[in-house]
Parts: sequence; structure tokens; C-alpha cells
Amino acid sequence: MKELVEYIARQLVDDPAAVSVDEWRQGDRVVLRLHVAEGDMGRVIGKQGRIAQAVRTLLRVPAAHDHAYAVLEIG
Amino acid sequence: MAETPDQGGQGTIEASGRNLEEAIRRGLVELGVAREQAEIEVLSEGRPGILGVGAQPARVRLSARPQPAAAQRPTAADSTPEPVAAPARARRAPRTTAPSAPSAAEAEPAEAPADRLDDAFVNQGAGTPRQALALDADLVTESAVDVLETLLSLMDVDADVAAREPVTPGDGAGMVAAVLDVTGVDDEEQGLIIGRRGETLSALQYVLNLIVNHQTRSHSLFGVDVEGYRRRRETALGDLARRVAERVRQNGQAMTLEPMPPAERRIVHLALSEDPDVETISIGEGEARKVAITPKR
Repeated sequence: MKELVEYIARQLVDDPAAVSVDEWRQGDRVVLRLHVAEGDMGRVIGKQGRIAQAVRTLLRVPAAHDHAYAVLEIG
Repeated sequence: MAETPDQGGQGTIEASGRNLEEAIRRGLVELGVAREQAEIEVLSEGRPGILGVGAQPARVRLSARPQPAAAQRPTAADSTPEPVAAPARARRAPRTTAPSAPSAAEAEPAEAPADRLDDAFVNQGAGTPRQALALDADLVTESAVDVLETLLSLMDVDADVAAREPVTPGDGAGMVAAVLDVTGVDDEEQGLIIGRRGETLSALQYVLNLIVNHQTRSHSLFGVDVEGYRRRRETALGDLARRVAERVRQNGQAMTLEPMPPAERRIVHLALSEDPDVETISIGEGEARKVAITPKR
């Protein structure tokens, strides 16, 4: 899941080197915290959070495989 | 609009490539200067064509600029206050499946300076003729297939991806450059990738298009289908629309359908567009937007 978030973020930002994702599990929750350069926040969040929301939707698929649900945090 | 920066023929060359980045890279190599030292004018952004048909190469005109990179930019069309000395970045498609490599630094020597396709340096030559040259491979579609394969594999989904031309309204005919069919997905997995009301499929399509357009600087739209889901949905929606239209016709009373995403509302509108007795209109906002079928007055 971490790789999925990293891949998408790196493809969308101006500064891919600044992209990193921390992943940890709490029970059935997998928390993913995405960090990007400050100027790139909009590129991973999108208008009205549309991009972040789409990534959250995609995360349901691998999360379901792990019998978990994913929580994506940005910043 | 912007004038052609004709800075004395000698240092000016034209280059073409399968996409803008490739054209610029070739030009920079030929000119022997770094990107920061070049004035770049886009003659044609090129077109991916559909499945290799109708593709046009991207063409650019480059000239070595006399001033150092940090000097003021001479192009009138420049309104972006983006700093010139922005950090280099790689935004080329990772052709490999190693998504964690931040810069897909390929072995080509000119890669680094050409990687950064910055608006600040690209003078969109408006009004310049975009003429067709030789046909080329459909690079944008190819890279879309790549990106979708990468996304699916990172989602732990085993699947095959193939591009085809859109045919029906449900395919997005007239709107999408190609439909990317995802097949070979086992039954349980299908429902997961499609999601409730196709929500996951829409998210996949949305993210795919964002990435492809960012990578290739194109504005192509690609549709994504999983095991013919959109086709089945299209047939079902057409049937539903005609059935409800029949009731509206008999009762003379408007009826509304369940809320639907835009692509599905469009299918309903199209299915009834030639019906002499009813009209369709979308009402409501956002997630709740739905089609109302009303008797024609």
C-alpha cells in the first residue's frame, strides 16, 4: 500500500524526491502518512480533496486483501 | 501572441520526437546546450493518435539563448512567476516496474537537462501551423497502459491490460482516446476493483488520467473498463431508461432515476435523446445528481 501511494504521489508532484510515506498498522487499520514538498500539497490533495479521495478509494483494494482498511493522511 | 524568437538563424534548430520531452531532448543534444540555455518554442505538441493511427510527432524549435539562465525571460507569453532555478525532477514515465526509483534516470546522457519540461521555458507558439509528419507509434496510449499495469500491480491485482478504440457511448466514444480493458481478473476480485456504483473503477480511471497527462503533457482521456462492466452497465441503463420512459409516457408524470455518476447519466440522456415523448434533465448536486425523465410538452 505504501508503494501505491508513493508511486501515485511521485507521478503527480514537481519534486518526487521529497515524497515519502510512513506506514504502520494498528489492529485492522493501516495508516499511511504521505509527505510531499510543501508546494506539492495541492497536487496530491486536489481540488476539494478529489485526488486524495481517489487514492483512498484505490487503497480499499489492497487493504481488503489484507483484511484491513487503509487510512491515508497527508502532511 | 508570442512571436517566433528568431534569434539569427544559426543557433536555431528544429527537432521532433514522439512526445514533447523527446523532441526537446533531441533538440538540446543537437544544439549542445543545457535546457536552461535554450529558448524552446513548441511547434506542435503532437498527437498520440488512436492505437497508432493518426499519431503526429511533437515538434519544437530551439535556439541557444544569449543570456545566462537566470536572466529575465524574453518571451512575452510568460506570465508564470515560477523560479527559473527550480530543482530538477524526473517526470518521465517509469517504464520499469520499480516505482520507488524517484528519478527514472535512463542511460541517455541528455536525460537530465531535458527531464524538466517547465512552462517557464516553453513558449507555446500559438498560431504556428501544426502539420502532419510521418505516423508514429501511439506513445501516450502505450504509457497509459504502462501506468494502469503499474497501478494494478501495486494494488495487488493480477490482471491484463489492453487498449482498444471506444465504440459505444458507454465506452466514451467521441470523448476518450482509447479504452483500456482490464481482463483476467478473477470473479471475487472484479467486484472489488469496480466498487460500489463503479466508484473504484472511476477512481482508477481518474488517477490514471492524472498521471498520464502529467507525464506526457497531453490532455488525452482514457477510459478504463473491467471485464466488460461498463458495457453491461450501458445495456442495463439503456433498458432502464426506456422502461421508465414508457411509464412516464403512460402516466404523464415525471420520474427520477437513482443518483448516478456523470458517465452513466450521459448514457441515459443519450438513450432517450431521440424519444419523441419524453425529455431528460439532470437535477441535484454532486453525488446526489440524478436524471429526471419528464413528458415532453
